[in-house]
Amino acid sequence: MKSAGLVTILLCSAAWLTAAQSGADVDAVTKVLALEHAWNQAEEQKDTKAMDAIFDNAIVVVDYDGSLRTKAEFLARMRSENSHPQIEVTESMTAHMLGTTVVVTGVYMMKGVENGKAYARRGRFIDTWAFKNGNWLCVTSQATPILH
Amino acid sequence: MWKLFPILLLLLGTPRLPAQSAVQPAEEQARILGLENAWDRAVKEKDVAALKMLLAPELVYVDYDGKLLDKVQYLASVQSPTVLPQRIVSESMNVHLYGAVAVVSGVYRETGEKNGKPYMLRERFTDTWVLRSESWMCVASHSTSISP
Repeated sequence: MKSAGLVTILLCSAAWLTAAQSGADVDAVTKVLALEHAWNQAEEQKDTKAMDAIFDNAIVVVDYDGSLRTKAEFLARMRSENSHPQIEVTESMTAHMLGTTVVVTGVYMMKGVENGKAYARRGRFIDTWAFKNGNWLCVTSQATPILH
Repeated sequence: MWKLFPILLLLLGTPRLPAQSAVQPAEEQARILGLENAWDRAVKEKDVAALKMLLAPELVYVDYDGKLLDKVQYLASVQSPTVLPQRIVSESMNVHLYGAVAVVSGVYRETGEKNGKPYMLRERFTDTWVLRSESWMCVASHSTSISP
């Protein structure tokens, strides 16, 4: 989904739970949205251990430039000394509970320095989370720059 | 009506995945890939009736430019008389099953004419399908441009 960041700023982060969800569904959605924020924090702090726990081993990540990454590739990029994320914000998040799967859509904004160059990106993302072995794990994540 | 027949076959042939262990994941994956191909054909032929069967009412569609569309908006975009797709191909598709939810990732190519000018799209996509009333329906679709 996103890239990296040093400080997490959560602006206008709102979650609309789909109608007619049970209490258990609401709990699951709340937990997944908390994991989305934990993801931001982990990227900002280059905490690959935390990311390792959030990502399913078979996760498919499609980055903002359309590049396809495995879990190992994503974590390696996080560790890169050329990447210096500064701010990452997630907003307008909406979660849909589908059985043992939650689909989260939202908008991210991020700023940082990569390979010595400053960048600012804004994009839309969809993350899919699956409940596996008692944990919610992200199984797919895709980002697209907002160009319009 | 006859144009819808292949899609009806794919939809009606869907068994109860969670309850029937006899269903092989490979069969289900093949069925979902068939629906992906049916989707491509429906877009090329501007077959809105077919698309209505494939897409869930709550569809979340993120286009390659980051635009967020609901089902009604997406169907309107397909019907646009200024866009004339000539060739649509989805390739390198992988299906991951999570119970009654399936995630398909792949690469989408489309060529055609828009406002009288030729265009070419190449996108990485992720589609999320949910098994509902014994039919698979797409609830989320996300595209990101990649270089041609």
